[in-house]
Amino acid sequence: MTTITLYDYELSGNCYKARLFMSMLGVEYERHDMNFYPGREFESDWFLELNPIGTLPVLTDGTLTLKDSAAILVYLAGRFDNRSTWYPVDQPETLAQITQWLAFADGLTASASAARLVEGFFYNLDAAAARKRAHRLFRILDEHLWFAERDHQSWLVPGDEPTIADIACFPYVALSEEGSISRQSYPAIRRWLDRVKRLPGFIAMPGVFPAGPALPDNTVEHNTGSSV
Amino acid sequence: MTSTFFDLKAARQQWHPVASSDDLVPRHVYHAKLLGRELAIWRADDGFVNVWENRCLHRGVRLSIGVNDGRELMCQYHGWRYANRTAGCTYIPAHPADSPARTICNQTYPVIEKQGLIWTTDERTLIQPDSSALHGFDHQQLVLRPIPVNASVDGIADQFKHYSEFLLPSEVAGRVAGTDRLHHCHVQLRIGEHPQPVTLNVWLQPVDSLHTVIRGTVSGLSAVSNVMDHLRAHNNAMQRLRDSAEDLAADEHSEPWEALISPVSQTISHLPELTVKSAGVSGALRVEVEEIKHTAVDVKSITLKAIDTPLPTFQPGAHIDIQLPNALIRQYSLTNGPGETDRYVIGVKREENSTGGSAFIHDSLKAGDVVIVSAPRNNFPLRRDALRTVLIAGGIGVTPLLSMARALQAMSLPVELHYFVQSQEHRAFSNVLDELGDIVSTCTGLNPTQTGDRIAELLGDYKAAQHVYICGPAPMLNAARQVAATQQWPDDAVHFEYFKNTLTIDHGKAFSVSLARSGLTLEVPSGDTLLSVLRQNGVELPSSCEQGACGTCRVDVIDGVPLHQDVHLSEDEKKRGDCLMTCVSRALGDSLTLDI
Repeated sequence: MTTITLYDYELSGNCYKARLFMSMLGVEYERHDMNFYPGREFESDWFLELNPIGTLPVLTDGTLTLKDSAAILVYLAGRFDNRSTWYPVDQPETLAQITQWLAFADGLTASASAARLVEGFFYNLDAAAARKRAHRLFRILDEHLWFAERDHQSWLVPGDEPTIADIACFPYVALSEEGSISRQSYPAIRRWLDRVKRLPGFIAMPGVFPAGPALPDNTVEHNTGSSV
Repeated sequence: MTSTFFDLKAARQQWHPVASSDDLVPRHVYHAKLLGRELAIWRADDGFVNVWENRCLHRGVRLSIGVNDGRELMCQYHGWRYANRTAGCTYIPAHPADSPARTICNQTYPVIEKQGLIWTTDERTLIQPDSSALHGFDHQQLVLRPIPVNASVDGIADQFKHYSEFLLPSEVAGRVAGTDRLHHCHVQLRIGEHPQPVTLNVWLQPVDSLHTVIRGTVSGLSAVSNVMDHLRAHNNAMQRLRDSAEDLAADEHSEPWEALISPVSQTISHLPELTVKSAGVSGALRVEVEEIKHTAVDVKSITLKAIDTPLPTFQPGAHIDIQLPNALIRQYSLTNGPGETDRYVIGVKREENSTGGSAFIHDSLKAGDVVIVSAPRNNFPLRRDALRTVLIAGGIGVTPLLSMARALQAMSLPVELHYFVQSQEHRAFSNVLDELGDIVSTCTGLNPTQTGDRIAELLGDYKAAQHVYICGPAPMLNAARQVAATQQWPDDAVHFEYFKNTLTIDHGKAFSVSLARSGLTLEVPSGDTLLSVLRQNGVELPSSCEQGACGTCRVDVIDGVPLHQDVHLSEDEKKRGDCLMTCVSRALGDSLTLDI
């Protein structure tokens, strides 16, 4: 068995995707902590040799080097998810929808994460434009999740189990307030965040708070007074 | 050109929907804003909907990022816990040995759940605001997806005049037949023709000067209509309407509304002063006896419910004074679990030599009676930072320990309750014990020696961060304390509460007492108590049991050595000699100086 190494930065939402998913799958790995801020270690010669793009996270397993968080999630699911629910290779419809949300997650990185980079790490980016784009994506996400709830669906992609789409979209939504993007107008998103936080193996990161215990299954659910 | 129809002053006095019922899923905290004020809204496991100011009283952190554990809301920052219904603080982790002051109570807002929506109002008088405006909308409603819009109420209301342009005919049967702005935050539309017209009620929730949430409900749908089609159609229409309103609002400028912050209510902020005339039973409250049940041999469980004001917040270990119709005052511990804030449940044992207290409750008190009780007082506070908590109950002493066990279990903290009773028939509150499950062990029919041995075994040797709480008859309590001391349990890890003081009290010696703050020197003659001499001279102190058991009349000693004679203080506290119980304590020497 080779050792998996994650080149990691504690405050990065993209690195958190890898840490979170490995925790949920129970994968053991070594962490190589990078001085992203203020040291900009991702621009060092040794790191650019490992990942010429200069982005985090990077995951190595033996001779394999993966330089993108979505690629890392796909690899981990394929290799360690024995039940094959996080990335079910035999279900093309599900796979296609997962891929769609992975692209959506990149949109979140370019918007919600960009606003956070300005506020937390003093990046010289257009924060107002980033926030505006994030709100547009959050509206789409909230609408999707609200109608999913009407269909008794809990996760981004229809089905009984969460997929790597949920892991990929979770961090920068959960961290949005660090970029001054309030989630007050997105009640369905706020409920989905609680559901992700209650998945077995969930771990927090600075800025992402854990949820309290869920209502036990054996408790009779209260009639909410909803009329339809 | 938008009409300026919205009236901020009127809006502050009126009910607004702030959430859909479906938004309040179990163990979730919903984040809302109304009229510039942020709200944290959460449903407890008992179904009660709490609408609170969205900030922790400690450091102002939003409670909407806190944890709803079904009974209490815990702030994410330093773990302060607030009770369901009352919003009173029940625990401060940084002060684990203390009971939070009752002034630490969050601002609550009135709430009505109707038509699948959660309604509240900014009006914060103690009188329930007039909710008659909500009448007449009781029939079956389809609650639409709420649409937040970056525009003012008026900007959106204007757009609804053109709703037919947004609701595409292909999406849902029927066209808009009429639009009325019934009042400034309410637009009503009739959609479709006779015989199957439906009504769309649109409530505009004024979030702040430039933000509004559209909350729609549809009534009159036929049984065969596809609910999802309607939800989709109106969602799409309202999103188009939103985009149009936002385009027009882009150049709109408006002063932000400031949320009104008013002082907390007098009942909460008022701290009883030492000199006010509120001695004895303080914070008197009228409550109704809801139910009286036999729960064990000679023990009745009494449920008390609020009459006019909500019941004040309690903490595990707290007791109330009950003023009985026959003028007697008795103290009983609350058995309630966390979040069980709509009633107080106590256990009353008929005392063999009852002087009219427990006998009256057993023989004469009945459901529907009104009695006067004090606000809960906690002289038996529970720590929640222990690695092991052992609760040892003897007979009716189980009552405060039930409340403690339920609080710790709800927080998934380790706790064990050992209940010593004569027989199974003497086991009170078996329904609660069953709920607690395997953390409870019952020891029946042991003689005093066996009881001592069993307690020694249960306690084991002391290890760091262990606490034991004991409540029961005096001989058992004394034995348990003795065992704990022998097994190296330090004094501050052993907590106890006596029902009554069985010591023989010596009132013989006269002494003088100086009151450092009041500048008085008084003589306490033989046969009189310090408490009564203080009261005779206009110094009013709170008191409860007046026999040296409950600790309510405790004051600090500045000089002189007290003759304690109480069963409230631990041996260490007695040795320190820096406080006493005015109801039974006297001076060992000739004089005392007190910090009052």
